[in-house]
Amino acid sequence: MNTLVRIMFLVFACSSGNLFGDHISGDDPVSLVEDTTVHIFADVAENLDEYTANPEALRTLVNRQLMPLLDVDYAARLVLGRAGRGIPNEKIDEFTSCMSTLLVNRYSKGLLYFGGETKLWVLPQRGDLNEKLTRVRSRVTLPNGKQAPVDYAFHKTPEGWKAFDVIVEGISYVTTYRNQIMPDVQANGIDSVIERLGSGQLELAE
Amino acid sequence: MSSNVLAVVSWNLLNKASSMQKIPALISAIIISLLLAGCAGTQNRHTDPEGDPWEGFNRKVYAFNDGLDKVVRPVAVGYDKIMPDPFQRGVGNFFRNLDAPVTFVNQILQGKITQSADTFGRFLINSTIGLLGFFDVASKMGVPYYNEDLGQTMASWGYEDSRYLMLPIFGPSTFRDGTGRLVDSYIHPVGRAIHGRNEWGMWIVRGIDQRARYLDQDAELKQAYDPYVLMRDVWMQNRQYQIYDGDPPMTDYDLYLDDYPEDEPDPEN
Repeated sequence: MNTLVRIMFLVFACSSGNLFGDHISGDDPVSLVEDTTVHIFADVAENLDEYTANPEALRTLVNRQLMPLLDVDYAARLVLGRAGRGIPNEKIDEFTSCMSTLLVNRYSKGLLYFGGETKLWVLPQRGDLNEKLTRVRSRVTLPNGKQAPVDYAFHKTPEGWKAFDVIVEGISYVTTYRNQIMPDVQANGIDSVIERLGSGQLELAE
Repeated sequence: MSSNVLAVVSWNLLNKASSMQKIPALISAIIISLLLAGCAGTQNRHTDPEGDPWEGFNRKVYAFNDGLDKVVRPVAVGYDKIMPDPFQRGVGNFFRNLDAPVTFVNQILQGKITQSADTFGRFLINSTIGLLGFFDVASKMGVPYYNEDLGQTMASWGYEDSRYLMLPIFGPSTFRDGTGRLVDSYIHPVGRAIHGRNEWGMWIVRGIDQRARYLDQDAELKQAYDPYVLMRDVWMQNRQYQIYDGDPPMTDYDLYLDDYPEDEPDPEN
């Protein structure tokens, strides 16, 4: 329970998005995390006033820099699991795009909240790297000096490495969402869930 | 059925506890009536039959805790409003420092001798220079912080999977961790104050302080499709993370995909 707090806060607030930029130097997951974090944090620190006044500009930045490097389609499939059975493709796409919007909004909010003071460093890569799936482990330092462990799950796609899960203090965003959304879809149908997602009612973390 | 067994076990445990450790009669009465309520009906929901076979019972305890929170939360809100942040941080540090003896003993039980020396040193520094633990001087000096308890020790000894158990008042746990918690309380200074001297002051203050830390999350929990499952998920995953000292095995995502209809034809087409 202790962690519920920080986790929920952090999942989106300071971590999930920070990863990526549009000026990536290397294709390996560690460089993706490092480069993009530096880039986005610096941008926010520099233009904090502007972004505070105009959150839409920040959302645009996040959308442009972050989203191309996330595999939200894959994340959505993991979240839906067997509840996705029999659901028309266009509904799944709609669900996926709702998840993207939610991510961007929440991540942008988190960036504003932490004011670009957040720092992140990546731990040395461990042996569990394989050719298709890997985990990048990092530590985020918040403005209050507290550190939060944040891991990113990456998998290899035809377009290179993409992140599909964020794990804060051991709590996986995909797993946690999945266990909320799957039964919801099964009980109430995908339309109801999409509507709830769209209205912001399913924000598990703030 | 299993919740009945649990209720009987807990009943015995509590009767023993209340006579031996002088748990105030009121609290015993509350817990016992709750446990009885737990047996009164059964719930058919099984969201995780393997990890949470006592779900029906657990949900009742969850509802009980939720009811209790109607009293505890306003107190925590008041505490959060009145107390300045540095003071709250100090109180948090103070209680975290008091966890050190439990961590120390369990590090030794797990054979983590070097780390136990860090915990010992940290406890000495913070209890003295850190003014009874209010200031976390040791962290500033670079002494690492560890958190161990008997539940984690038992897990490291091979008792890896334990069923989820929602404890009254204390909240999420497992059978293993709840048992560990009871035993650890004989080492923990706050527990010793209760067992030995029947002093509940520190325990209550710690409870309020801990509750105040979760206030930001209340809305999220309430909005969740199934708050009970959300709490269980978050707690169980984080517990796994603690047991593996921050390096748990990676989730088997393929398992999530296995039940996804990759090649099934779209029924609309």
